[in-house]
Amino acid sequence: MIAVTGAGGVGSVAGAGAPPSYAVTELAELPALGGLYARGAVGSVAKRPRADVALPPAAYRVTDVDTTGTGPRLAAYQRVVGEPASDVLSAGFLHVLAFPLATAVMVRPDFPLGLLGMVHLRNAVRVLRPVRLGDDGVEVTAWAENARAHRRGVQVDLVAEILAAGELAYRGVSTYLAKGFTLPGVGAAEPGRPGGSADDGARPRTSGAGRDSWVPPLPTARWRLGKDIGPAYGAVSGDRNPIHLSSLGAKAFGFPRAIAHGMYTAARALAEVGPARRGDAYEWTAEFFKPVLLPGSVDLAIRYASDAGADVLPGSAGGFVYDGWRTGRAVRHLAGAVAPL
Amino acid sequence: MASSIPTTREAVIIGGNRIPFSRAGKKYVRTSNQDMFTAALEGLVARFGLQNELLGEVVGGAVLKNSRDFNLIRESVLGSSLAPATPAYDLQQACGTGLEAAIAVTNKIKLGQIESAVAGGTDTISDAPIAVGDKLRRALLQASHARGTGDRVKALLPVLGHPKWLAPETPDTGEPRTGLSMGEHQAITTAKWGITREAQDEIALKSHQNLYRAWEEGFFDDLVTPFRGLSRDDNLRGDTSAEKLATLKPVFGRGLTGEDGSPLPATMTAGNSTPLTDGASTVLFGSRDWAEERDLPVLAKFVDAETAGVDFVHGHEGLLMAPVAAVPRLLTRNGLTLEDIDFFEIHEAFAATVLTTLAAWEDEDYCRDELGLAGAFGKVDRDKLNVNGSSLAAGHPFAATGGRILATAAKLVHAKAAETGTPARALISVCAAGGLGVTALVESA
Repeated sequence: MIAVTGAGGVGSVAGAGAPPSYAVTELAELPALGGLYARGAVGSVAKRPRADVALPPAAYRVTDVDTTGTGPRLAAYQRVVGEPASDVLSAGFLHVLAFPLATAVMVRPDFPLGLLGMVHLRNAVRVLRPVRLGDDGVEVTAWAENARAHRRGVQVDLVAEILAAGELAYRGVSTYLAKGFTLPGVGAAEPGRPGGSADDGARPRTSGAGRDSWVPPLPTARWRLGKDIGPAYGAVSGDRNPIHLSSLGAKAFGFPRAIAHGMYTAARALAEVGPARRGDAYEWTAEFFKPVLLPGSVDLAIRYASDAGADVLPGSAGGFVYDGWRTGRAVRHLAGAVAPL
Repeated sequence: MASSIPTTREAVIIGGNRIPFSRAGKKYVRTSNQDMFTAALEGLVARFGLQNELLGEVVGGAVLKNSRDFNLIRESVLGSSLAPATPAYDLQQACGTGLEAAIAVTNKIKLGQIESAVAGGTDTISDAPIAVGDKLRRALLQASHARGTGDRVKALLPVLGHPKWLAPETPDTGEPRTGLSMGEHQAITTAKWGITREAQDEIALKSHQNLYRAWEEGFFDDLVTPFRGLSRDDNLRGDTSAEKLATLKPVFGRGLTGEDGSPLPATMTAGNSTPLTDGASTVLFGSRDWAEERDLPVLAKFVDAETAGVDFVHGHEGLLMAPVAAVPRLLTRNGLTLEDIDFFEIHEAFAATVLTTLAAWEDEDYCRDELGLAGAFGKVDRDKLNVNGSSLAAGHPFAATGGRILATAAKLVHAKAAETGTPARALISVCAAGGLGVTALVESA
């Protein structure tokens, strides 16, 4: 019943950059998410499920990202997710820093899947060296790759890499599901089936039976999440998807109430492990199951991998696994791992 | 076995005084921590003739404090009959506050820095601080830093738009890092150790029976001063029974699941958990010379103390298990084993806390793997455990519990030594929030 994350969860960590066939477009600065959402919403209407899903061979890059200017936002982010005050940009913050560029890829007219209604299935991140507030020469690149079948549609990886002083500092792979789409020549498939795409190793594997028989471990923490947590994380992450902001917005997409950002819950688990235990270089994975409805109460087990009988990263000293579920019910919300590299 | 403790002079326990403990929201409503601590202190002064006495130090604290109580103990001293020149300071270590205060003052006595001292603590749930939410607090702070009315109004304007900010925040017993209440934490430990409901209820029943007997025998006559019309701890149920305790519904540990997916039984009730309580306690210490010069009784020596912390945040250890680690270190340093102890005063935060503590000391693997001992630490003779009752019956005003236990332990070892003619020892163990444990060794003097 233990969530285990295998090595190589982020695919190649060599930092090869976008696939060689991709054209890299340099942007002057990170785009504003507001405008991207507007384009994404409009574009989504046109992006109907069709038989041929082909990803644009395109990457966006911004060199010389201003990290100094992100100071107040970093402080606000740290308060919301519970990171201790620090000038080091945590993996969660690096994710939100790169998020507009990944979104820019997804709102391209030739990106075949609609932005609205995409479901964040899982996220795998490696931080290889710390990025600090005020660091010069920070470069962000994002692209989409590896479209593949999912039993409910098509899943795709949005990859973001962040270089600091020419060295790869961060690589994040966010896997999204577009429901209803299919790939040419591939039938509906279960996720994570044998076949070895890069992210299959990143999926927490449940030992033994399938997900229906998941048994919650003894909790180590309880989060009481108010309605305000959606707008609060929306403000610090820039992810103001209406499903997180209000009941009304959520109902429009078929949810009974507003739902918490998956990345908020994963970032909070990352923060609870804390900088002292994850070190400067670490892996952080998350898999998202049922969304957390707001307000809501989530029970967590954030445990030493050794106590959980899990082997997070072969050769890694220590490491943590975490599980989150609805308080009092075996309804699973998220699972993942944090391990020093 | 040789002791590894450097030689210092003795710090002796002269006596104690507290006010009766009262369940929250009853007799001590509209009574402040300062009121209660001053009353307990004045009772002590009266009992030992300390009017106008210049003591070396008075140390104590409260776990839940109003911000105006920044110098709570000093203010209490100024309101007492002690000489106003008696210095004082506040100290806080959650439920370990009272016992830690005793450690602090006895160390000064042992080192010759002071000749006499009072240690104690007070806590009130009935007069607990009510805080405003962070958003309102930030707005108020900004307004107070503003230069001029315009800026002040500007700072406060957002409050008008958010009436919800005005909702008060009351303190709870939740652990800041985990969000789980102390009861939920203990319920997880209870489940891990497989402690039964019956065993917990038995501890609770004994606590009430023992405390009731001690009151009836007059044990507390020289330890408690009546206050606000209360002359006995009002949580005490001398007539409770195993049957009555068995009818109570579990309040902690509901919804826990075993590894095989079956639900774990919820065993912790309001009967075998301590109630929220108001109260205050004090203990008088001195050098032996100081006590003898004044013809004051010398009940016991405060021999040694040990504190511990456990790594509970990620579930490796139970929140309230720190004393389990502290006691073996304390006894070993003093060349003692559990066999050498005549009285075990193990604070009953929950009946299950006592039982997991005893179970852990008896567990071969746990003692070896977690405590680094050669094998099981040993077995506590139940007939020596909390013989005059403990927190389940008396109640537990957090910072006041250490003083209650110390005075009881000192009297017990004194009486036992007088009866047998041989020295008697008491071991005190207090668990505290934050995964802390404070333990002490007291010996007849």
